Amino acid sequence: MSELRESRGEKFLGFVQKNAVPILFLIICSAEIPLSGYSMNYLGQEIIIRIARNSFLIIALLVPIMAGMGLNFGMTLGAMAGQIGLIFITDWGIAGIPGIVLAMIISTPISMFLGWMCGKILNRAKGREMVTSYIIGFFINGVYQLIVLYGMGPVIPIKDPALVLPRGYGIRNTVNLIGIRQTLDRLISVKVFGLNIPIVTMAVIAALCLFIVWFRKTKLGQDMRAVGQDMEVARAAGIKVEHTRIVSVVISTVLAGYGMIIYLQNIGTLNTYNSHMQIGMFSIAALLVGGATVNRASIGNVFLGVTLFHLMFIVSPMAGKNLIGQAQLGEYFRVFVSYGVITLALVLYETRKRRDRSKVGRLLAQDQAEEREGF
Amino acid sequence: MKRIQFSRRHLFQLSTVVVLILLGVLMYVIGRQHTILLDNKTLEVGGTSYQAFSVVEVAVDKEEVLELAARDRDKAVVMGQRHTVMLRYADRFFEEHELTVSFKVPIGQDMVLISLPALAGGADESVWLQNYEPPTAVAPPQAEEPVVVDDLMVNLGDF
Repeated sequence: MSELRESRGEKFLGFVQKNAVPILFLIICSAEIPLSGYSMNYLGQEIIIRIARNSFLIIALLVPIMAGMGLNFGMTLGAMAGQIGLIFITDWGIAGIPGIVLAMIISTPISMFLGWMCGKILNRAKGREMVTSYIIGFFINGVYQLIVLYGMGPVIPIKDPALVLPRGYGIRNTVNLIGIRQTLDRLISVKVFGLNIPIVTMAVIAALCLFIVWFRKTKLGQDMRAVGQDMEVARAAGIKVEHTRIVSVVISTVLAGYGMIIYLQNIGTLNTYNSHMQIGMFSIAALLVGGATVNRASIGNVFLGVTLFHLMFIVSPMAGKNLIGQAQLGEYFRVFVSYGVITLALVLYETRKRRDRSKVGRLLAQDQAEEREGF
Repeated sequence: MKRIQFSRRHLFQLSTVVVLILLGVLMYVIGRQHTILLDNKTLEVGGTSYQAFSVVEVAVDKEEVLELAARDRDKAVVMGQRHTVMLRYADRFFEEHELTVSFKVPIGQDMVLISLPALAGGADESVWLQNYEPPTAVAPPQAEEPVVVDDLMVNLGDF
């Protein structure tokens, strides 16, 4: 099949449509940075902190996209598992890097179980994975609250009175993670051009990126890509489609648990009943801002997304304040932009799918016309 | 009845679980925090009196050096079981002495109390190092920690 002849205008329009979300964010950020009045040094430092804090969580989303399961809103399940690990290490008084590692070890079987369960359910809801995983997140949140609010204390022993509600059972709204606060970030930190770079956290993120690159080349990674492209063809090729999809969700959930632990060690406080609630939404929004779509995402999208999305988060309140004297506007702005970008990305995905289908039709018509002219 | 075949895959899975459990136990042991109370009060044990120092400098491991006057008590929070305590004090002839002693905190113990006069006086470890149970009197409910959130965590429900 030959290449479709397109005018320059059509090519430009295609490029803009393909990168609409990052371009939109670039325009918003370039307008807001001078309005905010922040120095480049300050913005650079904030972006580095946010890359270190959020990237691991966002990278966790890549595996289910590879397997054609769309954006894994069920990553909150892993986040809850990570939080349970953090509650236990705080109660046992385990601090520092051992505390972080132990929290990860505790979260692993919980994440695996929740991921397996989520994968099983998603296999019964093929084609509607995103909305299903979103609702599973709400369901498991209820179970999490039941365990943490009523189970911890009478059933699961918690001995630290600073963790338990005054009534004697249930975990307090906030858990102070003083023992592990920024332990990973401060383990090795270097100053480059006046910017503090948390080397160990960045190294962990880099290791995860390498793992994703390596994983794509493995048999399982190739199977996931095949399943993502066409499930029926993959099944005909002898790939265990359902199993592969479950594995992708399990990997994503486990990574999300680790990501949540890295995220919370940076924040230093666990908001027991809320921390995990919006983490999926914001991670997905950041990935989409980076130019990812429901069926295509890369490591580059993760870092571009974190940078642009968080840049907007940092500058919006001050830009709003300087522009009309109200920082609140910036706060609202960034909230509705988060939802807006997800909506826009989903709409663009459908539009692009239709456009690609019509492109294939036009290409076929062009080939047939050429054949007729040739004979 | 279906017979379970023990394959290499099962062996690998089992060994991963075992390694993870062992790693977890290791992390628990090396990451366990203990509070060391450093006590500079006169202690009487078995008819022997260990007089409090008028001023003593003390440091646990490589933590900051604390200066304690007579009847003072301070604390150091440490990780792991094996630690050293360093004492620096002047005797009544104003001659300065430095003493470094190693000790081990039982893993299940949250708090231990070190009597500095007894330690400097050459008492047995069971005298200068004691388990400490904090008083269990009914304490007023502790105030909640202030909620620290990332600016991502804007409450969307309020919107």
